[in-house]
Formats: sequence, structure tokens, C-alpha cells
Amino acid sequence: MPPVHKDVNPKQRQYEAMVRALSADLYRFAFWLSRNESVAQDLVQETFLRAWKNLDSLRDAESAKPWLITILRREHARLYERKRFDTVELDDTVPEEAAFASPERSGDAAQVRDAMLKLPDKYREPLAMQVLGGMSCDEIAAATDQQPGAVMTQLFRARQRLKDLLGGRAAAEGGRK
Amino acid sequence: MNCLEFRRRIGAEPRSRAPELLAHRDSCKDGCAAFWQRAQRFDDDLEAALVIPLPEGLVDRILLAQATGERRRQVGMRRAWLAMAASVVIAFAGVGMLWRQNDLNSLPALAVAHMPGEIEALSLTQPMTDAQVEAGFMGRATRLKGPMPNGVTYVHDCTVGPYPAVHLVTRMNDEPVVALYMPGKMDTKPGTFERDGWEGRQMPLRGGTLVVLAQRGASRGAMDAVERGWRAAIEGPAAQTIGRI
Repeated sequence: MPPVHKDVNPKQRQYEAMVRALSADLYRFAFWLSRNESVAQDLVQETFLRAWKNLDSLRDAESAKPWLITILRREHARLYERKRFDTVELDDTVPEEAAFASPERSGDAAQVRDAMLKLPDKYREPLAMQVLGGMSCDEIAAATDQQPGAVMTQLFRARQRLKDLLGGRAAAEGGRK
Repeated sequence: MNCLEFRRRIGAEPRSRAPELLAHRDSCKDGCAAFWQRAQRFDDDLEAALVIPLPEGLVDRILLAQATGERRRQVGMRRAWLAMAASVVIAFAGVGMLWRQNDLNSLPALAVAHMPGEIEALSLTQPMTDAQVEAGFMGRATRLKGPMPNGVTYVHDCTVGPYPAVHLVTRMNDEPVVALYMPGKMDTKPGTFERDGWEGRQMPLRGGTLVVLAQRGASRGAMDAVERGWRAAIEGPAAQTIGRI
């Protein structure tokens, strides 16, 4: 990846650095939110465009990822709203095979991904925010307008449900007490 | 902290490094350390599984979309500025043309524009008779009410722009001073002007307008005298004011 050019203005430099640093995590979060590769790409693109327009409101580098995740969640909600009025029904519960078309498709990772895809939205979203976004319970609670205790319960149940879906494997790891 | 609380919190936040959790893990004799280990392994697997492959060129596509949008915005802004600048230029040009058109039709412009056609009249030195001068005014249906100034060397019925006028030249201290009297033009505001080598003054005078003109450099005294002379001739002698000092 070529370095950012010197004579680019500071805002552009900040933006490019942010895209390079966070687009991967953001794309993965978008994928686990939407369970669709092309929707995830559109979401990430739209999120970064909105971020560019509001870049001045970003106070420090530490808060960049939670800020982007918040924008992405709003974009996803908007997309979902629009989709409700579309004439063509899309079954977005079916994940795209292309997303897993890699050597990692086989084995434990594939089972975990399949299980993750089966999680209800209310568990999958906070779990992705925590695991991919590195957000704490409090941060997730703030971003989703919930009480921290409720988020903690969701995260606990999300892992329990995953372990249930993974069955013997999780039991072997002692996920269930 | 008891084991139930520990496992509930680790079950929700396995990566938490809260001191009370770590303290319980290290002190518990009921298998909480093993539970913590299993929770870490589970989250390791979970993290690894969630790291799906990225679409090729993701970063470049994002940057391209932003650069394209930004460029489009800049072009739009430039066009808006150009349109605004063009509007301002057109507005100034329009105002300038209107002003120029208005200026060309002003009384000073019309009076000065009239002068080249009768410029030879300035070099005449032979005084005219009162009858000749009076006849000039009669040609414009105006009767003089007072004595004429001395030294009138030229009188002619002319048209200044659209206004019928009596064109007079009075030689005062050997300086030719032009007076244009336009009977019927009653909307003139008094004032002075300088234009194209001429100095002038205009004033309303008894149902008409008097313009006094002299070439630049003429003495103010000569112009004042000519103005006074024609004012007295056209309006008549000033009425005496009782009690005025």
C-alpha cells in the first residue's frame, strides 16, 4: 500500500489513515450485521463517506472505531428502512457463500461462523461490536441506547447460544458448566 | 466476588481485565481459573472465525468514492462561484450601462455635446444690439424682464438635446462665457459640473433652465457675472426686501 502523500491536506491524511486502519474491522462488522457481502461493502463505503463529511466532529483517534460503528449501524438501519418498501423481497438471512470462500471454510472456524449466522440480531450485533469493534459493555450500551446490564446479559446469552449451536465442540471446551 | 458472579461476568466479557475478576480467578479453588482459560480459548476461536476475508481493493474503492465525491463537490462549488461572479459582472455591467445611458442624457452632457457645432461663436468679439438679443429670446417665446448684460457677442435659437434653447455668448473681461437658456425645462436641480474641458453650472430660472458654460480655466468671476446678468435679464431685477441687511 503506497504511503499517504506529503502534500495532501491534514484532513485528507487523517481520513486516509482512518480508512487504512479501520476499514477491515468495519467491513467485518458490517458483514456480521448484514450477513451479506455486497451489502457490507455498500455499508462500509457509505459509512466512510459520511465520516468524511463529519470528520471534524471526531475528537481523538481512540474514539474513531466506535464512532464509525455508530455511523454504520445508522446506515444499516436506514438501509433496512428502505428495504421494507422495496418491491423485491430479499432473503437476507442467507449468507453469501463468497464470504467464506477460503481455505478457512472448513473446520472449526466454519462451524463458528455458521453458528454466528444463526444467532438472532439482538445477540449477534452486540457480540460483533465487542469482538470486532473492541467495545466494552458500557460503550455498546451507549451506542445502542441500552442499559449496561442489559448489554451484559445479551453478550452472556449470545455466547451461551453460540455454545449451544456448536454443541459438542463447545462442551469439549467447557463452555457449558 | 463469588464464583457465580465471576462466571456471569466472564461469560459476558471474557477479555475484561477488571482487578476483582483477576483476583477471584487467582484465588478461587473451585475451578474458576479453568473456566477463565476455556472462556479465553472460546473467544480466541470466535475472534479468528469472525475475521472473514476482505474483498479485494476495499480500501482503494473507499478512497476512490471519497475522492470522486470530493472532486464533484469542488467542481460544483467552483461552478457556483463562477456563476455568482458572472452574475456580479453582468449586474455591474448592466448598472454601468444604465448609468452611462443616464449620464449621456443628462443636461450637462447634452449642453457640452452641443458646443462643438457652434465653437466658432466663442471667438466673436463684435457686440450685438439689444434688439438682436431680444429677437433671439422672442424666437423661443420668451420676453426679457430686465436689462441685458453687456458684451453679448452671439445669440442663436438652438436645440440642446430635445430642448429648444437660446444660445448666447457673452464676453466678460475678454473671456467668452456661454449661456444656454431652455424655456419650459423646469425640472433642473441647481449644480455645477466639469466635463470634456468645460466648466459649467445649471440652475432653474423663471419657468426654464439656464446653463452657464466656459472653457476650463475661465475665471469664476466671469461666470458669476454672466450668471447674474442673465438672471436679472430673464427674471427681472430682484425685488427690494424691507429690513434685510
